Amino acid sequence: MLEALCQKMFGRSLWVYHANSGGCNGCDIEVLNVLTPYYDAERFGIRLVGSPRHADVMLCQGPALRSTAQALRRAYEAMPAPKLVFAIGSCAGGGGIWHDAYPVLGGVEKVVPVHFYIPGCPPRPEAILWGVAVATGRVQKKTAPVVFKQVEYPIPTYHPNDLHAEGDLVIYERLEKV
Amino acid sequence: MSIASKWKETRIGLSAGRVTLPYPARPRPAPAGFRGRPIFDGAKCVGCGGCASNCPAREILVFDPCQEIRILKYLGRRCTYCGRCAEVCPEHAITMSQDYETATDRAGDLEQRLELFMSTCQRCGRCFEPKTPLDRLKLKGYRFDDLDHERWVFRSQAYLEHEPPVRDLEIELEE
Amino acid sequence: MARDVPLAVLGALTNVVLVLALSPFFQGVLRKLTARIQSRQGPPLAQPYYDLLKLLGKEDLESGEVPLVQRFAAYLALGSILAVAGLVPLGFRAPLSGAGDVVVLIYLLMLSGVCTLVAGLASGSTFSLLGTSREMMTMIALEPVLAVAMVVGVLHARSFRLDAVLDGSVYAAAVPASGLAMLIVMLFAFQAFVGRVPFDLAEAETEIMEGPLVEYSGRKLALFKYAQMVKLVVHGALFVALFAPFGSRLPFPLGFALFWVKVLLLVVFVTLVAATHARYRIDQAIRYYAALLAVSFGALALASYGL
Repeated sequence: MLEALCQKMFGRSLWVYHANSGGCNGCDIEVLNVLTPYYDAERFGIRLVGSPRHADVMLCQGPALRSTAQALRRAYEAMPAPKLVFAIGSCAGGGGIWHDAYPVLGGVEKVVPVHFYIPGCPPRPEAILWGVAVATGRVQKKTAPVVFKQVEYPIPTYHPNDLHAEGDLVIYERLEKV
Repeated sequence: MSIASKWKETRIGLSAGRVTLPYPARPRPAPAGFRGRPIFDGAKCVGCGGCASNCPAREILVFDPCQEIRILKYLGRRCTYCGRCAEVCPEHAITMSQDYETATDRAGDLEQRLELFMSTCQRCGRCFEPKTPLDRLKLKGYRFDDLDHERWVFRSQAYLEHEPPVRDLEIELEE
Repeated sequence: MARDVPLAVLGALTNVVLVLALSPFFQGVLRKLTARIQSRQGPPLAQPYYDLLKLLGKEDLESGEVPLVQRFAAYLALGSILAVAGLVPLGFRAPLSGAGDVVVLIYLLMLSGVCTLVAGLASGSTFSLLGTSREMMTMIALEPVLAVAMVVGVLHARSFRLDAVLDGSVYAAAVPASGLAMLIVMLFAFQAFVGRVPFDLAEAETEIMEGPLVEYSGRKLALFKYAQMVKLVVHGALFVALFAPFGSRLPFPLGFALFWVKVLLLVVFVTLVAATHARYRIDQAIRYYAALLAVSFGALALASYGL
């Protein structure tokens, strides 16, 4: 019964733990901007807490580095269930520009399971607020994969192996596929 | 640190009212010149791959499954919205929109994939295919784009059948 | 006398229920007012209720050195402060005045401070030990001030009974000099008793990762946070009963409402001070408490001479 109540109240009171595992601090500053009066995140019940044991959401920034991967994993495991992980910025989302550098393992999803991605470099504070609103269900997300196809498979190709001559006609053997 | 100064501070804070923007309730357009998500227009794209060469995050991958089709895949998760692809595109097929509301719960939502029909020779009906591996390397610029693993592979061994194109780093979390 | 016992117990339970229901509201007022002073919108007034309900349902990771003692400390924290709530008059007369006197009250208040110490020591992490040492220093310097306030009341009322002392007895002398001195001292020390911003060194700060509460999660954390909220209301009620009991003789709805209005004014005062100050360091805070302690001993001396 208490767990059901917790699920209902979860969207209204999110306690956030901020974990930067090697980023440039650009996204850190944007997260701090979200807590200022102009973009006030506290009106949604969001509070910054100092200990992962008190938190519900871990805001991850910066890519997962070889040196900080274990610390990030331990901070994730120190959070009590139910928990969410938000990957903020392009570095946390997939490694950013540094994705194939020597200390970088990739995005934080290589180390902790990510539930929401907030892309941007750095994402605007409005974008972070939008991400929180999507996570708590206040708005619907606006992205979907886009595919543009000019041709559909299969296409006919005349390969010299499939052509043979009969008299003065050239017959394409795989005619049924055209 | 006197009481009068604290009282004045309180009055200043209260007299500013509420400066909080009613953001998710009311939309807020980005300022002019803001670089949001790039939109790839497949109708204008000629498949030159200039954007892919210029992307600093190596976000745009180019792959030819057969000789007439070129797949350009923009991943979207590592994009830093620098705008170099839009600047370099000769056909102006890429526009940096003003869209920043791109949060999502699946990383695959951000991708844009263009499958383009590359023109073939009008006489024989096929694209010119380089014969030797060295010619192929010269054409692609010593690079092989792996769409499944979503990365460039700078290994000429990628053309050899028995080598895997990508070897991931092993992540050791227990010490 | 035998008839009074169930009535007294009922009165105490009413107090406890009232305090449990209203203290998150006062915390909500505090947060909303802080937000308005900072020119932002702030959380809804019912936000602490949502926080507590959410915390009650989270998983309880039994981390820390001695989880049994941690559990004990959490229950003791809420339990001791609710016991104080049962003894303090909350708009009507002190219900259990036969069951205890001022000494029990001082003891229970000190016990609620000791719970934080036990919690920090049982957690065993470096941050919590740091917070515990700060809280110990604070308690040593500060609990005597509260005790002196009540002893001044006892000296003037000539009795240890709760309903005699907690009725503005500090002013009962011929010249209320000691009463006024204690009023000023308690006004200055009030922030420290409830543990809000200039003096929240020990816990709930991001500098040492929330101090003694570092290893708590889920239900036990909810109990501690609730105990902090209840402490605000109970200390406010104690302050009003000792120093501002005007209008407590009014008939039931008016006297009750007036009492809670006074507590609300005190909470507003705490908020205003909290929103405009920065946190003190431990040495600055100890110097401050030492000055307050000196003045309060002077007031005690005055009171023992009948002033």
